[in-house]
Amino acid sequence: MSFNTRCPAVKRLLKEAQELSQSAELFYAQPLEDNLFEWHFTIRGPPESDFQGGIYHGRILLPAEYPMKPPSIILLTPNGRFKVNEKICLSISGHHPETWLPSWSIRTALLALIGFMPTMGEGAIGSLDYSCEERKDLALKSINFKCSVCNVSNSEILPELTDKSNEDCAEARELASQIQFKNSKPSEEQKSQPELTRRNVASSSSENSSANLQTNVPPVDNRIQTSTTQANNSTTLTIMIVLSGLFIFLLLRRIYLIVDRDPFSV
Amino acid sequence: MNEQTTQEFDFKDEMIDEKITAQQEAIENEIAREQKLISDLIKLDSLLDEYSLEDTIYRSKIIELSANFSLVRKTRGDGNCFFRAFGFRYFEAIMGKPDEVKRLKDLANKICTDLNQLGYNSFTVDDFKDVFVEELERLADKSDVKLLEEIFNNPGSSDYIVVFLRLIVSAYLQKNADFFLAFIETYQSMKEFCSHEVEPMYKESDHIHIIALTNALNVSVGIIYLDRTDQTEATPHNFPEDSNPNIFILYRPGHYDIIYKN
Repeated sequence: MSFNTRCPAVKRLLKEAQELSQSAELFYAQPLEDNLFEWHFTIRGPPESDFQGGIYHGRILLPAEYPMKPPSIILLTPNGRFKVNEKICLSISGHHPETWLPSWSIRTALLALIGFMPTMGEGAIGSLDYSCEERKDLALKSINFKCSVCNVSNSEILPELTDKSNEDCAEARELASQIQFKNSKPSEEQKSQPELTRRNVASSSSENSSANLQTNVPPVDNRIQTSTTQANNSTTLTIMIVLSGLFIFLLLRRIYLIVDRDPFSV
Repeated sequence: MNEQTTQEFDFKDEMIDEKITAQQEAIENEIAREQKLISDLIKLDSLLDEYSLEDTIYRSKIIELSANFSLVRKTRGDGNCFFRAFGFRYFEAIMGKPDEVKRLKDLANKICTDLNQLGYNSFTVDDFKDVFVEELERLADKSDVKLLEEIFNNPGSSDYIVVFLRLIVSAYLQKNADFFLAFIETYQSMKEFCSHEVEPMYKESDHIHIIALTNALNVSVGIIYLDRTDQTEATPHNFPEDSNPNIFILYRPGHYDIIYKN
């Protein structure tokens, strides 16, 4: 791989890759071999939460303007807190917008994500409010998750959790109070997720399809077939909305026609 | 049917953030196409074109101002304009002066130490400082305006310099929090103020940023306020107050440009 080292983002990411090359107990992240702007990461669920014992894998996408603009994160392991295969961005509708600071790093983003997991979803877009049992169940299953790109199972990636990580855990909680995450951008691909619970599958059909109306999908992976099915989904949804709108209109019109002989005539 | 209507509403809500992002990006791209980060030198008179003939307050102030100031450089209105304008003009003032460059370089290193003590991640802070110092040193022993323009119009180096200037302000405000806290209203702590109003890119600058930056670097700056108040002349305001600056910045509500004294 050759890089343009005059580009500050490249220099910065190479440094970050170097800094994170040793796996920490709470997280591990490295760039893909052929793309410095896409990383894969593994994080440990925060202790004393429903995610305790869980190990979750995902992707980080770095914008060309990084570190001026924040990275986005995509979780691949089902977790019951965030939808999988969808970008999680810093909230732009939060109380304080533009909360990303250029002096933060991928490490900061991952710690913030860990700290943010136990917070309430409260119906925010892309967040999932699964029950404690479902989350604990997913946490148990998560350690066997194997990323098809990295080809390593989650349980083999991180070293054992010890007291050494207490500081990191505290930092994660602190960061979570400053940074907000939510699924925001449309999902780029829908890999088959056999571990998905029935509920996730059922709910995702409507949620994903509406997000997919967005056309500005960053080309990271060519999964043309799946994206076509998603496009079909979204078309169906649009048609349904238009039809139901028309139906309501006609119904209201009918009601008015009964009450008042001709409200629409001029 | 009820269910359908709710779905329609949820659907709209879900799209709002997407729309905001898309719209913001479109606006940013348009500004980027139309406006360089730092423009070439232009005549102050040319600012008259921005105001209609009836706009007598602005027009008479600009004409008045052109007696002492004849040239300006416009900056891109991306919220970083104060920092970029200041950075460009300050680099311009000290380029070709190795002593001044060394002073700023030493100061930059000291500020990094301060930031580390404040709990900042040294490897990201040093990354910004390194680019700041590298670009500065390219100008240490030559007055090369073309190179300066190139450095500040390349988003990579230009934005890195802006980030470091923002960090300088943040470090100064946090070190002198006791004094500056009195001027802050909505935030509980200086740290919180800095992480919401100083350090994020594209956040606009206020008085407090200017005071902190000029104090931290020990540089004198004159801000010329060109607004719709009823005086006949644009009001100059020096930072620090009793100083005699040779760096001037033109302020029009919401925006800073560079202005040159004759």
